[in-house]
Amino acid sequence: MINSISINENISLNYIPMEKLKTTTIGIYLSRELNKDEASKNAILPHILKNGCKEFENRTKIEHFLENLYGAKMSAGISKKGNFHILCFEGETISDKFAPNGEKLTHELLKLLLSILFDAKDEFDGDAFLTERQNSITKIKSMINDKRIYANYRCQEEMSKDDIFSVPRLGYAEDMEKLTKEEVYRYYKKIIKSSIIDIFVCGDTDIDDLKKLVTKAINNIDFEPAKRAKDSILKDKNAVNFVTEKFNVTQGKLSMGFLTHIGATDEDSIALVLANTIFGGGAQSKLFNNVREKLSLAYYAGSVLNRAKGFLTVNAGIEIENFEKTKEEILLQLDEMKNGNISDEEIESSKNFIINSLNSYDDDQFEMISYYHGERLMQSDMEIRDYKDKILRLKKDDVVRVMSKVTLDTVYFITGVDYGKEN
Amino acid sequence: MEKRIDKHSGECLYFEKDKSGLSIYIMPRKDYTGSYAIFATKYGSVDSEFVVPNETDVTKVPDGIAHYLEHKMFDQPDGSNVFEKFSKFGGEANAYTSFNMTAYLFSATEHFYENLETLMDYVQSPYFTKESVQKEQGIIAQEIGMYDDNAPWRLFFNFLGLLYHNNPVKLDIAGTVKSISRIDENLLYKCYNTFYNLSNMTLFVTGNLDPEKTLEIIKKNIKNVNPFTEEIKRIYPDEPKTVAGKFKTQKISVAMPMFMIGWKDNDVGFDGKKLLKKSIEMEILLEMIFGKGSALYNELYSEGLINQSFSFEFAPQKDYSYIEIDGQSENPKAVYERVNAYIKKLKNDGLSEADFDRIKKVIWGDYIRSFNDIEGYSNTFITMSLLDINYFDYYDEYQKITFSDISERFSKLFDEDLCVMSEIQPD
Repeated sequence: MINSISINENISLNYIPMEKLKTTTIGIYLSRELNKDEASKNAILPHILKNGCKEFENRTKIEHFLENLYGAKMSAGISKKGNFHILCFEGETISDKFAPNGEKLTHELLKLLLSILFDAKDEFDGDAFLTERQNSITKIKSMINDKRIYANYRCQEEMSKDDIFSVPRLGYAEDMEKLTKEEVYRYYKKIIKSSIIDIFVCGDTDIDDLKKLVTKAINNIDFEPAKRAKDSILKDKNAVNFVTEKFNVTQGKLSMGFLTHIGATDEDSIALVLANTIFGGGAQSKLFNNVREKLSLAYYAGSVLNRAKGFLTVNAGIEIENFEKTKEEILLQLDEMKNGNISDEEIESSKNFIINSLNSYDDDQFEMISYYHGERLMQSDMEIRDYKDKILRLKKDDVVRVMSKVTLDTVYFITGVDYGKEN
Repeated sequence: MEKRIDKHSGECLYFEKDKSGLSIYIMPRKDYTGSYAIFATKYGSVDSEFVVPNETDVTKVPDGIAHYLEHKMFDQPDGSNVFEKFSKFGGEANAYTSFNMTAYLFSATEHFYENLETLMDYVQSPYFTKESVQKEQGIIAQEIGMYDDNAPWRLFFNFLGLLYHNNPVKLDIAGTVKSISRIDENLLYKCYNTFYNLSNMTLFVTGNLDPEKTLEIIKKNIKNVNPFTEEIKRIYPDEPKTVAGKFKTQKISVAMPMFMIGWKDNDVGFDGKKLLKKSIEMEILLEMIFGKGSALYNELYSEGLINQSFSFEFAPQKDYSYIEIDGQSENPKAVYERVNAYIKKLKNDGLSEADFDRIKKVIWGDYIRSFNDIEGYSNTFITMSLLDINYFDYYDEYQKITFSDISERFSKLFDEDLCVMSEIQPD
């Protein structure tokens, strides 16, 4: 399935063939351990770098280059998985066999991505730096725009107060404001040689040709050993943490955080995936069928599992006055699972739901890359077919066992500014 | 079945019009793991006033009823739950209502034929009771409430309210809490029996499937062969060529102001190949003016007037048409002025032919990549087919387009009198 080549101690090149699509997708991921001091620099750096490099001097030149590759796509950004903070550089082009004049599109796209990451100019452009710094601050402040996402984010923040996972993906506005281009440039020079960098290509290409390109792009860099983030899960607090915030909203947003006490590399982690799906993943789940369909309390109600950090969150948009009622119903459904009130149909349909979504990675290059990169970070390297086998072997007892370990940690609620003032 | 091959992508499409009136499209994608089916009716939120074939009186129904009906289609006569039926076969089902269409769909990686039968069965089995209709009020009221707080959604509908005096596209798809309170089972049946007649519906299926067997299963699952012999007459109010308002601001708790600037386009009233060619011309033109490689984008971005959230769109419809650009900005008024000044200058100086050549390549790449995602492809295909466009005609129209077509299209658009701006400001 996957062909992995070690370029050196820090850098890997991974090829996943998927010829049936019309495109080839590339992802380059530079991983750092989550860290408060580095967070804002990590968050801004991809955006600075994509403003230009030695070979492609500015944004417009990069855009015109991409347009000439029949509209190849390129993006840069930041993500957070487990205890890793990951600088992402991604691109996608139509595969070479569709190039009308025999152009080597994947080769050209990778060349651009490598130049942006490894071959920055000797100093960052001052105006572009200020623009991107402002944009990065705006992005942090804009977290409140979508209350559904914000509620879930705030719940996770509350849950991880004493954990490194509390470092926000987008960094800190107050740190960002103080950053200078010189400081970020020095940081760039440091991390480019001392970080794990995984390059993934999924599609239809000549991987030997791409390997030469990668080797050439890094031959002037003196690499140093890279530090790998240790995994750890969130731990219990003394009491359940209740948090309410007021906004000028019509609809209340409830986000409940639960600890699972099971990490991604634990044997029970896959059973937890199934348990969470029965609980709140999709339209066959207990939460959807009870909170929404039976009690009409919400339009959306579901749960999301974070395997690496050992927690799950339940999210629902509700009438503000239904806060207690919804919270109780969610806890009741959790108890139902702990008590083993789970039907064979629920188990079967939830297994189907997971298998269906794993199968669908076969048709999606970004999903495929994201799956294997996630496995790489967790040092698990589990093949998708092994994942499926594990899911299919699970029994009700496994589900009850893992669900019995789940405990409520945080209840976060967005309520209206005027709520409670009238009547 | 008619068969067509697209020589650029290598893909192949089968079509048959069934005696029930149903339009059936089958597109095999043999290497794909997933399959997808979408069963759609040409019936959306704008269709609140109509004449049922063989009747003379006009029927007027509450706003939001198409969407309400979509929700209630999931209730079954035997009390069973549609989602459960799908999940037994690993299918993931969903549905949505837009201005012009209601669509029921599923994706699956196993048991394609069983899932297809489930889809066809439930969409042809309406079952509404007083109680079940009543029960949905709470869920939909929460859905409406969710959108009331949603800044991009409010931005968009305020924008449509500025563009249109009367066109029902300016009304919320889900209606209002008040309008949906007037919906009952009888009205739902009336709408169902009108718009879910198979002669008003299209089925598109794709994935790793056998076309002959698929057609056989579809035909076996058709329940009602009673096509309308005349059109459903849809009544839309007259729409003046002018805009209804210029500026509107709403306050919502967001971090930074948002804007949506747009131009009403009065070149409407046609569909088919002519509309396909127009929409490709618009794709090219908008990318030339507003794309990330354009001079305008670069100026506004460098000055911090826009950021990465900037995007643009053209709405290719028969009865309404507009161009919009949107994003976040500390100073939406400045964006409005700069964009209009830039366009004025561009009208004097003329478009660049070098830009045209480059962007035409981009649009071709986008066409090739549109085949990748079978779900996105199916939705595009069916949306276009309701506009009498066969997406397989794309290349024929694309290759006809010249620089002078684009210049001519440009000369007819972007009148500042027809330009409006909707804003969301932080509260």
